[in-house]
Amino acid sequence: MDKQVAAVLAEVLGLRENQIVPSLTKADVDQWDSLKQMDLVNSLERHFNIALEIQDIVKMDSVSNVIAVLKQRGVPIAD
Amino acid sequence: MQIEGSLAVITGGARGLGLAIATFLQSKGGKVVVVDRDEASLEALPPAFDRFALDVTDLEAAKKLSQQLVAKYGSINLLVNNAGVIFNEPMVNIMKPNGMMHDYARFRSSIAANLDSVFVMTSAVVEQMVLKRTRGAIINISSISACGNEGQTAYSAAKAGVNAMTVTWSKELGKFGIRVNAVSPGFIATPSTKAALKESQLKHITSNTPLGRLGEDKEVAMAVASLVENDFLNGVILDVNGGLRI
Repeated sequence: MDKQVAAVLAEVLGLRENQIVPSLTKADVDQWDSLKQMDLVNSLERHFNIALEIQDIVKMDSVSNVIAVLKQRGVPIAD
Repeated sequence: MQIEGSLAVITGGARGLGLAIATFLQSKGGKVVVVDRDEASLEALPPAFDRFALDVTDLEAAKKLSQQLVAKYGSINLLVNNAGVIFNEPMVNIMKPNGMMHDYARFRSSIAANLDSVFVMTSAVVEQMVLKRTRGAIINISSISACGNEGQTAYSAAKAGVNAMTVTWSKELGKFGIRVNAVSPGFIATPSTKAALKESQLKHITSNTPLGRLGEDKEVAMAVASLVENDFLNGVILDVNGGLRI
């Protein structure tokens, strides 16, 4: 699991970094609602200096999909 | 946000306060689109304004217009929700014993014109801002009556609702880079104020205003511009009332 991605997600979602695993989805995290999604988007954009499109934002409904979107946007992600 | 080069949509912009705001924003270099239901006033606007006839309580029409504007201009940067109708009716009119209570249909109609309209237009425009990820600003025109003004149950309730939506949206939409603020004018020397109030009431208001006069429409427009231009203002209800309290 990429350390930087885990750190950003953990901070935004209020979880421990070891809880951030690729299989974790929005449905597993009570506080991961549409408003939290924008907090996540803003944090990822700031941290990785990228701009996400609305289609990316909608896709990011799990850790694995967040990673997939970041890779598509050219962010180097460690496996 | 710079006004120069921004696309600004002003509802109720063909006359009175709305026209003053539209004119001021244009003088600062904004590309101004005037939306109004009064087609005759729209036609009388100077050619530099783009204009559309619209009932701002019609969500489907508002969504269609927002899509049209994005297709034409690329994005909408600023929405000024100015459209509204001043409405006076006491809760109890003892002079009408067979129908003394405030008419409910007129209450609903005033809420639709002054509160629903702000929801409808903001919903239609913000959808496009979010889809295009446009950083923008919404300015709602509230009123000193939001504090609760005698003889204005519906209008006061609607404007208090506008203030509440302003603060709520500032919290929700800030995450999308959209700031939401309101200007709350006191009594401004516009034709609609003069039509709604008797001369004696205007004198009473003037004498109770610490600055001793009615406001000018340009002073409201300047307040709108300052909320647009200062990127750290969000969730502000800016009073423009000469110090008057009601």
